[in-house]
Amino acid sequence: MNIIACVKQVPDTEAQIKVKADGSGIEEGQIKWVMNPYDEFGVEEALKLKEKNGGDVTIVCVGPARAMETIRTALAMGADKGVHICDPAFDNADAFVVANALAAAIKALPHDIIFCGQRAIDDDSGQVGAMLAEALNLPQLTLVTKLEFAGSSVKVIRPIEGAQLSIETALPAVVTCQKGLNEPRYASLPGIMKAKKKPVDVKNAAAIGVATDAKARVAKTVPPPARPPGKIICGDEPAQKAAELGKLLREEAKAI
Amino acid sequence: MGNLLVNTRDQQFLLFEQFGIEKVFDSEAYGGFSKDDVLMILSEAEKMAVNDVFPTLKEGDEEGCHFKDGKVTVPKCFREPFKKYSEAGWINPMDSPDVGGQGLPHTAGYAVSELFCAANYAFMMYPGLTHGAANLINVYGNEQQKKKYMEKCFSGEWTGTMCLTEPGAGSDVGALKTTAKRLPDGKFLITGTKCFISAGDHDLTPNIIHPVLARIEGDPAGTKGISIFIVPKIRVNDDGSLGEPNDVKCGGIEHKMGIKASATATLNFGEDGKCIGELLGEERAGIKIMFQMMNEARLGVGMQGVALGSAAFQHAVAYAKERIQGTPVWEMKNPAAKAVTIINHPDVRKKLMWMKAHVEGIRALAYFGAYCMDMSKISKTEVEKGNWEGYLELLTPIIKSYSTDKGLLICSLAMDVYGGYGYCSEYPVEQLMRDEKIACIYEGTNGIQALDFVGRKLGQRKGANVMNMAGLVQQTVAKYKNNPELGKAAATLEEAANACFEVAMFFAAAGKGGDFIAPIYNAGKYLDMFGDMVLGYLLLDAAGIAQAKLNAMYEEKGLTTIGKQKGLQRENQDAAYYAGKIASAKFFMNEAVSTVKARAEAVKANDKSAMELVDLAFTV
Repeated sequence: MNIIACVKQVPDTEAQIKVKADGSGIEEGQIKWVMNPYDEFGVEEALKLKEKNGGDVTIVCVGPARAMETIRTALAMGADKGVHICDPAFDNADAFVVANALAAAIKALPHDIIFCGQRAIDDDSGQVGAMLAEALNLPQLTLVTKLEFAGSSVKVIRPIEGAQLSIETALPAVVTCQKGLNEPRYASLPGIMKAKKKPVDVKNAAAIGVATDAKARVAKTVPPPARPPGKIICGDEPAQKAAELGKLLREEAKAI
Repeated sequence: MGNLLVNTRDQQFLLFEQFGIEKVFDSEAYGGFSKDDVLMILSEAEKMAVNDVFPTLKEGDEEGCHFKDGKVTVPKCFREPFKKYSEAGWINPMDSPDVGGQGLPHTAGYAVSELFCAANYAFMMYPGLTHGAANLINVYGNEQQKKKYMEKCFSGEWTGTMCLTEPGAGSDVGALKTTAKRLPDGKFLITGTKCFISAGDHDLTPNIIHPVLARIEGDPAGTKGISIFIVPKIRVNDDGSLGEPNDVKCGGIEHKMGIKASATATLNFGEDGKCIGELLGEERAGIKIMFQMMNEARLGVGMQGVALGSAAFQHAVAYAKERIQGTPVWEMKNPAAKAVTIINHPDVRKKLMWMKAHVEGIRALAYFGAYCMDMSKISKTEVEKGNWEGYLELLTPIIKSYSTDKGLLICSLAMDVYGGYGYCSEYPVEQLMRDEKIACIYEGTNGIQALDFVGRKLGQRKGANVMNMAGLVQQTVAKYKNNPELGKAAATLEEAANACFEVAMFFAAAGKGGDFIAPIYNAGKYLDMFGDMVLGYLLLDAAGIAQAKLNAMYEEKGLTTIGKQKGLQRENQDAAYYAGKIASAKFFMNEAVSTVKARAEAVKANDKSAMELVDLAFTV
């Protein structure tokens, strides 16, 4: 079975994000980079599938040179090989360009199932998985929290408001992973050492033959507005304070 | 700010900027590693320590260990993390791949260990002792013993212990009473009682392998007549499967102040005359063999001081930055002044600085010990190898006792920062302090360590180890003596180093003149002075490196005024870190190292009040 897991390198959730003075993006110098947590679910599911049914897991990643570290982490977790699409031309790539680049790389590989995170925690756009399925002309199963493999098809659970959908499709297909699907493993020490010998194919835009012109352009990056300070209602009488709270909720916060 | 256990930036500084362990990567012994590998290993260890082991700290302490119907149970929350820890290969990262390790350099391995120890030391007792026991068999066992016992310990399928102490033989191990009687098949019948055995009995794994010190019948009294035996809790068949119980019975567990989740057992060997042991190594070589494990364990206990001190410090800083209480002292005449976070109060701030300098210092000391192991392993000549081993020999008692004494003080100061809340179990510092205290006692009390230092280590190799240490200190002093920012610190260190070496001469002269009491009486005090001096050296060396890097940053950005430089420190983590490193050295030198000379004078005054007093006079 040929399993693909797509990964993106993102700032650690605990990193303090600072916007560049000119608004052209964020300061990257002091950030600790990690694998997108939703992609970790994808890698874990890929590894579980491999352990149960055999086959191999290929990690595909679009990102700058530093993203190699994230590919290595996935290999240390147990994936077999990697494809790193690395080109300065992708520096301003949008979801469309990334999805097409991933699609071009994956087309060149045998693939039975493709895992993506349901979104990346940095830009939160949540588009790449869906676009990738379109570009590959494959069925897409999004926000998956449970997956059962049955030979040539998969059956998945996807939560919707107040209920969940059970969906079945023939393979190959693209699956985007949601929290709850599994608990990603840590890379083991022997895994880290073995990962050093695993092959990673580094390709530029020309080698995979995709356009790098983004459809969307980031006009400006701005920090969220500072939160106004909270208001403390003073007074001795609880009833009076409650009345004041009600008034503020209605008139100022317009919450009721 | 990163995790609440260990400052990983400081770890990386020690590995890659101060000691430069990349140089060992070029060697045959460690050729398989790169900086990126070590960073990934540390990052994975940090994840597991923070997410899986640290959450067991409080629960493990509250549930504790229980002894019922002859069986010991450990906190339930330990099971899953122990399995994960073992499976991920963390029991023996530094051992050779031939025995399932990864051959990780010790300096990096100690950084990994610090992360886990800071997360829950009681938890770490189980894998830590397992490694020590398995490594004894690795070095001294025969092929059959390795296959039968060692492999399953290194993989975490079973655990190990070290059985030295008996009710009447603690610090005086030569007085032990456990006996070994020869059997016709070459094995031995073991009879005796061992107490205070950490991880001695538990339900984490189906078998426990005990290395046991005992005297073969007919062998001489004292330490020279002691042999060491492998005694499994459950007998192991030749095919590796478990056989009959081996007549090793737990008589109970201790109820302790701290590390409550570590089962401290009394073990009765051969109550029914059926406890079988296999000789490990040669007969009557037991103490020499056990010393390998004891040295490893002493460095491990030193790490307990570092790691718990580190966790207490990280917590205290986070708390002091959040907790709002009191108006700043410079606003005392302003009735409208607003309360500030307590890190702004000079007393709290100075306590945090004291903790920072000491944590960084004892961390550097512990990693330096590991670095000596790496450097000795890659040494090309016997002389070089001997010198690196010499540093480690000299520093082992200091790493064990100085780090644990200071670790306890750091925990205590952390509690002061928290105030009354720190004394309550709602916050973790009181547990860290309780868990830390035992480190000053077990593995050879800190008093015994001081005797080892003064009695054995100072004079070892005809004083060559001390002279080498003096050389290192002098080189660093010379390097920074004329440095405008660090010159004063260098001068203080020089004065302290001279004072330490003068006391060594005083001890030697006193011994020659028949005054054996002087060195012994002052051993603890001297070890503490010497420790301050060595920390001063390590911190000054670090400050010099940090200063060069920080100045390069200022230059690159064209920051010439103090205001602009401070501005960079506020927004750039590296700049803040380097500035902090310089401050640690200057603070430590002024606070601790500057007093070494006065203490040396006190030692040389050769007051012996405590010895001269009659027993009754201590309290009538």
